[in-house]
Amino acid sequence: MTIAIRTEQSEELSSLERVVLALQYKKPDRVPAAPLVCGASCRVLGYSYDRWSQDPRIAIASLVAAQELIEFDGFLTLVDLSVEAEDFGQELIFPERSTALPNFDNPFIKTADDYSKVKAVDPRKSRRMSTVIEIVRGLVEAKGDTVPTMGFVYGPLGVLSQIRGHAELFKDIIRHPDRVLEAVHTINKVLVEYALAQIEAGAHAIVLDPLYSSASILKKSTWVKFEAEIFKSVSDAIRDAGVPVLVHNCGGGVYFDAVLEHINPIAISHAYPAHGSANWEEHAANWAKKVVTIGVADPAKVGHEFSQAQVLEDSRQQIETFKVAEGGFILSSGCEFPPNGNLLSARTMVQAARLYGRY
Amino acid sequence: MSADQEELFERLATAVFELDEALAAKLSQEVLDRGYDAWNAVEHGLLAGVNRAGKLFDEEEYFVPELLIAADAMYAGLAILRPHIKGHDSGFNRKVVIGVVQGDTHDIGKNLVRIMLEVAGFEVHDLGRDVPPRKFVEAAIALKADVIALSTLMTTTMERMGEVVSILEAEQVRNRFKVIVGGSPLSQQFSDRIGADGYAPKAAQAVELTKRLVGLVNAA
Repeated sequence: MTIAIRTEQSEELSSLERVVLALQYKKPDRVPAAPLVCGASCRVLGYSYDRWSQDPRIAIASLVAAQELIEFDGFLTLVDLSVEAEDFGQELIFPERSTALPNFDNPFIKTADDYSKVKAVDPRKSRRMSTVIEIVRGLVEAKGDTVPTMGFVYGPLGVLSQIRGHAELFKDIIRHPDRVLEAVHTINKVLVEYALAQIEAGAHAIVLDPLYSSASILKKSTWVKFEAEIFKSVSDAIRDAGVPVLVHNCGGGVYFDAVLEHINPIAISHAYPAHGSANWEEHAANWAKKVVTIGVADPAKVGHEFSQAQVLEDSRQQIETFKVAEGGFILSSGCEFPPNGNLLSARTMVQAARLYGRY
Repeated sequence: MSADQEELFERLATAVFELDEALAAKLSQEVLDRGYDAWNAVEHGLLAGVNRAGKLFDEEEYFVPELLIAADAMYAGLAILRPHIKGHDSGFNRKVVIGVVQGDTHDIGKNLVRIMLEVAGFEVHDLGRDVPPRKFVEAAIALKADVIALSTLMTTTMERMGEVVSILEAEQVRNRFKVIVGGSPLSQQFSDRIGADGYAPKAAQAVELTKRLVGLVNAA
């Protein structure tokens, strides 16, 4: 994919131009701001969450309206972390005002013997993944010339945890490693196709979410064995298609070194300092020049707690901390902006980028 | 305690710590077969083992899978020993009702807190995940609990915690219970706003907080 960027910056760049430059460590007109407004967009046009997450026309209209209202610099097609799980057979619950979730009273994988029940599906035809593909297509059609659309793929181990149950999966990793690995491989093959389908629909980049690459959950070597070495093929396929790979992980203590080694993204969206970094200053010194930073606002504080003045100050501090990135920084929430959060705060983050993020 | 007892309890602790559920059950039965005190086996075997696992968790040698299996090993032994614990008084008799609030199924954090509270001697009643606010209140009243512990990992379900407090107030039973909250998106500010009694950012801190709130340790 080739994106022409105006070199004369006397006028404000488009969001697409701004993000493309930041992803290359080239200073755009200002710090891009993309506070991961996904499900929260349903409230802009007054739709319920369950309709937003299942009807691509509603999601597209809502996300476009949210972008025009908030003026954020990028779409992320994170609908919920159960999209892939349903298509593999997991029953879901769709609350009217909250994110869809698996019905763990009825997990698809009830015992370790059930891992073999996981079979490949066609993401272009399965109900929920095809919905996300259509959302990508609609956003690109509506705004593709000016606003980047980033597709989203949850990692295979994450998907598996949504159809087995988190605790049971983690115990099975020790008790039944071969069965877990077999299912991870099956899911991963589908995810390759899912990523490619989003690219075919026009996604400017794909965000991969290897949630368990986090010291708050798994040992690094465990994550590498059970996800990284397998998920790598998805990132390779995306790069082979000429599209940038980004990573999102809102877990605590992300293994940046292992993520870069195996997934090799050009940017990482995250909520906490990397594993081994005691604070944001240390993190920025260690990593900001090695991989573009997307973050790092605390979504609950920004969405639920902070006044607008606090959001401005919080954003200013982040921009200041990541000046060391020399342009490779996108101001964002460290995880999805709270679907029930104060949308004005998302707009204030964009305003902060305009006020404090000029290069 | 005889050397034989000590050696058996040490093997029991090692079985838990080394994640061997079957061996923990087998050794617990051996404790009974030899006529040793069941509570001593719990304290010096099972709990010692899970405490060692917890220490390794803090040191990032063990992670969530290892801690969950160590807990399973502890529970396997406890199931055998518990019916034979006679007249034991852990020093306090405090009850905690714990669960993940409605709309959320992420229960790893809640499970870790439950394990650590049990190891600390609390009687913990786990309501599971996706628990409606009113169910917390009903269970706490029915069980005469001291503490209601609420967990969530999602910003969309945080407000359910405030609903629990509101129901307690509406039922005029708020002062009977301490309410604590925990989970990745939460903060002390949020806890204060909904009128909870305390917030713990980590599982181990939840235990200290609970002890403090029920008066088992002095307030900091």
